[in-house]
Amino acid sequence: MIPDPFFTMGAAVLHAAGMLAMAPLLKTVIKKMKARLQNRYGPPLLQGYYDLAKLLRKEPVRSETASWVYVAGPRVYFAAAVAATTLVPVLFAWAPLEDAGGILLLVGTLALGRFALATAALDTGSPFGGMGASRDMTIAALAEPALMLGLFASALAAGTMNLGVLVRGLVEQGPAWHPSDLLAFAGLFVIVIAETGRIPVDNPATHLELTMIHEAMVLEYAGPDLALVEWASAVKELLYLTLLVNLFMPIGIATSGDAGAVLVALLAWTGKVLLLAIAVTVTESTNAKLRLFRVPELLSVSLGLAFLALAIRFL
Amino acid sequence: MTANILILCAAGMLVTAYLMVGQKALFTAIRLYGAQSLLLAIVAATIAISESRPELFFTVVLTVALKVILIPWFLMRTVDRIGIHREIEPFLNVPASLLVCLGLTVVGYRVSSGFEGGARGVGHHLIGVALSLLLIGLFLMVTRRKAITQVLALLTVENSVFLVAVGVTTGMPLVVELGISFDVIVAVLVLGILVQRIVDRFESMDVSRLSKLKG
Repeated sequence: MIPDPFFTMGAAVLHAAGMLAMAPLLKTVIKKMKARLQNRYGPPLLQGYYDLAKLLRKEPVRSETASWVYVAGPRVYFAAAVAATTLVPVLFAWAPLEDAGGILLLVGTLALGRFALATAALDTGSPFGGMGASRDMTIAALAEPALMLGLFASALAAGTMNLGVLVRGLVEQGPAWHPSDLLAFAGLFVIVIAETGRIPVDNPATHLELTMIHEAMVLEYAGPDLALVEWASAVKELLYLTLLVNLFMPIGIATSGDAGAVLVALLAWTGKVLLLAIAVTVTESTNAKLRLFRVPELLSVSLGLAFLALAIRFL
Repeated sequence: MTANILILCAAGMLVTAYLMVGQKALFTAIRLYGAQSLLLAIVAATIAISESRPELFFTVVLTVALKVILIPWFLMRTVDRIGIHREIEPFLNVPASLLVCLGLTVVGYRVSSGFEGGARGVGHHLIGVALSLLLIGLFLMVTRRKAITQVLALLTVENSVFLVAVGVTTGMPLVVELGISFDVIVAVLVLGILVQRIVDRFESMDVSRLSKLKG
């Protein structure tokens, strides 16, 4: 069956819009939970949206030495994050553009965004941008293979690289209960923390540390440019969490379009993402930030776990 | 359902072992050992319920009381008391250790399929994980400098033996179990005192210094 192109495009736009709308909320929820753990009240739940609205209204201030690369960076980063959302099933066991490609396209799209942002950070020639870009790339070089291996481990179980088909298979056969799943999950969880710049790896809350990674890269951006970067980062975070919950806890995902199933799927997805967000918050609150040279060790653990997840399937 | 919980817990034990290999904070390593023991207790409890072997509940209580609470507490107290540098300094760096451990896990899993009844199903994973834990524990024992981390490695080995005894065999007699638990607690106590002695004498917990003459 060839799906109707208009239907596919419409679904993709709705899908991406939904993820874009939810992403700032997730970021604020994690901030809020973290604040509560530290006996603070934290920001109101809509703070993420206020911040974006404020940044989008401002005029972009750009360095005189900045070229088009600097301007293109946040836009490509944002576009890549939005494009990546259309490849991952969220509420339905189906992704709008799943026929375009599977795991490799997803990882590649995210890598494209990261590349664009890193080159843009190098463009103005400021020391912080270059330092941030170099650090971000160092981490990405280790995190990316682990991400791919972890995803391959679950792809191997279903016999397909296509995320839509993969999730449909998981929903049909139910959870498989193989040690490989837990190992891959543990590995990918570390990767999610590294990729979203959370505490054992990077600190999202400060601009005052010499150890900053992501924040150093985007230090020079202001106004709408910064809004795009922040928004895309939030979307990426939501996307990673969704990927984890849908691959390893395929409960409640809608297989049909009727209202009841969709409602259940919405509740299940919200609950599962919230659960994982709590796990991220607790990890962030109970761990100290690692020294930069220790980060590769942490990532090598996750690479090891992901590799083992893959290897155990054959043993 | 039972098989699922068993496999999940066994895999969890393997994950804690890998985290133990991969990180360097001494307190986290002790907590990881506690978590590993808790998973072992869950394995025992699951088997006790599914195969209606009430005597296993004694094992569960013993495991939780000793290995989840008492031993970690005692080890942390020892570390606190001797006030050592709270970081593990292995002979081999982390990525290399992980690679070796990956190889050991593969070996453990391969060997486990040679056992009778170990070729498929839950038994395969339980024996595979237990053998991997055994090998990783031995590996940790030879590559760690600090006496406390060697104690932890020994305890990991003990956990792995326990996992096989509980999960695959028909269980040990109560007397044997009591004896083993007593052995473990005495071993930890003695080793704890030994560690304090080493520190008193050499002002370090680094066992590689023990071979040097003191004049």
